[in-house]
Amino acid sequence: MSLAEPAALPVATSAPPRLHALRRFATGFKASLPAYLLLLPSLVFLALFTYGAMGRVFVDALYQRTTPKAPVRFVGLDNITAVLADPSFTGAVVNNLIYAVGTAIPSIALALLFALALSRTNAVTSALRAALFLPVLIPMVAASALFLFIFLPNVGLLDYYIGRLLPVLPNWLGDPDIALYAIMVITIWKNAGYYMLFFLAGLQAVPEDVMEAAHLDGAGPFMRLRYIILPELRPTFLFVTVIATLNAVTQVDHVFVMTKGGPSNATNLVLFYIYEQAVEHYDIGKASAATLLTLAALMALTALSFRTLANRDGGP
Amino acid sequence: MLFSRRLMLGLAMAGALAFPAMAEGPTEIDLFFPVPVDGKLARDMGTLIKEFNETHPDIKATAVYTGSYDDTLIKTRAAIKAGKPPAAVIMSANFLLDMQIENELTNLDSLIAADGTTKEQFLGQFFPALQGNAVINRSVYGVPFHNSTPLLYINADQAKEAGLDPNKPPQTWAELTDWAKKLTKREGDKVTRWGIAIPCAYDYCGWMMETLTMTNGGRYYNEEFGGEVYYDTPSMLGALTWWNDLIAKHKVHAPGATPGPAVSTSFISGNAAMMMLSTGSLTYVRDNAKFNYKVAFIPRNVRNAVPIGGASLIIPAGLEADKQKAAWTLIKWMTSPEKSAWWSRATGYFAPNMAAYKTPDMVDFLGKNPDAKTAVEQLDVAKPWFATYKTVPVRKTLEDEVMLVLNGKKQPKEALAAAQKAADELLKPYNAETSLKLP
Repeated sequence: MSLAEPAALPVATSAPPRLHALRRFATGFKASLPAYLLLLPSLVFLALFTYGAMGRVFVDALYQRTTPKAPVRFVGLDNITAVLADPSFTGAVVNNLIYAVGTAIPSIALALLFALALSRTNAVTSALRAALFLPVLIPMVAASALFLFIFLPNVGLLDYYIGRLLPVLPNWLGDPDIALYAIMVITIWKNAGYYMLFFLAGLQAVPEDVMEAAHLDGAGPFMRLRYIILPELRPTFLFVTVIATLNAVTQVDHVFVMTKGGPSNATNLVLFYIYEQAVEHYDIGKASAATLLTLAALMALTALSFRTLANRDGGP
Repeated sequence: MLFSRRLMLGLAMAGALAFPAMAEGPTEIDLFFPVPVDGKLARDMGTLIKEFNETHPDIKATAVYTGSYDDTLIKTRAAIKAGKPPAAVIMSANFLLDMQIENELTNLDSLIAADGTTKEQFLGQFFPALQGNAVINRSVYGVPFHNSTPLLYINADQAKEAGLDPNKPPQTWAELTDWAKKLTKREGDKVTRWGIAIPCAYDYCGWMMETLTMTNGGRYYNEEFGGEVYYDTPSMLGALTWWNDLIAKHKVHAPGATPGPAVSTSFISGNAAMMMLSTGSLTYVRDNAKFNYKVAFIPRNVRNAVPIGGASLIIPAGLEADKQKAAWTLIKWMTSPEKSAWWSRATGYFAPNMAAYKTPDMVDFLGKNPDAKTAVEQLDVAKPWFATYKTVPVRKTLEDEVMLVLNGKKQPKEALAAAQKAADELLKPYNAETSLKLP
């Protein structure tokens, strides 16, 4: 938007348009030079550690070796095709989709519920907010170690209480039908408090006068929620959904600690699949190809949501 | 690659010529070490290295903690790629073959020869069972440092209560099944105490499958060649079927896949009367069990046999000569009888150097802790740990299928056939350039 502004300025020359544009670029560049200089240190590090690494992944994804002693050679898109044909990759994608939907929706719903219940500030709600935010402060690895104990079959905290009710105790992390859901519970427990913060902030922005007017018009609590609060919270929803989806792909610490993708690949998520390819299979080509695919999906998702956000901000 | 190595060598030589004074300082070397059991190990390693530096003024060794066995492999490989390999690494014994195939290991033969000893003399110090994982193609690539075997742990109090004599532990699968039945406690349909627990999580599961297959007369892999595994065989089918029977038929083993820590917690809390677990857990059980326990050999169906576990010291490829020499000095010192014995007492692993058990301190220790002796005695029937091309993924193909069986989702026969197929697929590239590369 700011780039378009100089064009609106009246320019009193009759030079050919090409030169005109060049000169405009030069003056524009001269004006922003100090800004670029100030940014330079960060740009260098960004290039080195973010874009450099991404570039390397891109290059690595194009090379492969046929046998262990053979040198790597250029294979083009073969690595990507191999990844897409790998049943454990597609399995990981399906797991990741279930995981993303199954963690995003409940944690967002819980977060909204918490935020609505605790939107007024007083001593009690402050204490409760702090309590609900606590899981966010615990590192994922530490939380996983805690839950490892809670989920211990037969002797864990969960079985100790549930054990009296069920005839056969479930093996929470050892049963491929349950393990992914056990992992999801931790994510929901950990993230709901974090998303609650965004909703609390969003609720502050709900205009007081509109709420008052609704009150006067006799709108009940449900009506106010349905027709005023939820529409006002729309940008927050969108933002939190993006964050939750990104988290579902990038946070796999608990998978590392608790299940290593098992049993029988039941909790294998995309990021863990990449780790497996890189470390266990020592197949840098395939790992890079899977990284590229994930990166592309994430960037598409982010771009899409930011565009939607921008549209909404620009709209009525 | 070759060019850059030559260039580096040239630069190093030029540096050596230009600064002759530099050669006079101590040689600085790094030792990468994992902590597979508990945090105390890191402190013990610090003590060990400090003593080494005090007795070897010309070398300055630094111990670098590198996480689990898997993390240590990752970090070592990253360091090699970055051109700065550590001088020595304590590496999981079954990763050596894979690293050798990738040209990441220094062949130790010339270092042994430079000492004026033969390979046979050098290896002769260690228990024969440990040599299989240290020697590849008749060359020495690793020196055994701390090792383990699986053991049968029995809650002696519960055994007595069930009318069983803990001094005569079960020796065959039939006896073990019988013991497990007698030790399982039920309230109606509900089991309140399991007769036996066998761990199954990635890594442990493969090791237990190797254990059961070996006691059933079979082998897990081709010990001489990294391109073959024997999953779809009668001996492994029998092993997996028996494990599954303990769950589905006899109902004396909890269903599903249970990781190692859950198994030991279950045993310590009295929830499982027997368990199969590594000797590495012996110190933990000794410190935490509030009841009398016994350890015994893994029972057999066909023969007594167990795989080894643990780690070896290696020297990564691509090191300067002086660092290589310093690393070799460190390795020999760490695996000497006295140090080996000290490390064994500190950690619970057994000492790979046979002479360690003749040191006075060790004789004294075994007198006080006879259970530590069982692990050493079982070494007579121990054999190497599975190591193939791409050891971990090949192992996982089996473990994934075993987990399905233990969860009642697949029959042993079809599970093993599927595992064999997946493993063969992974081993294909290696076979293509070895066994199937024909003139």
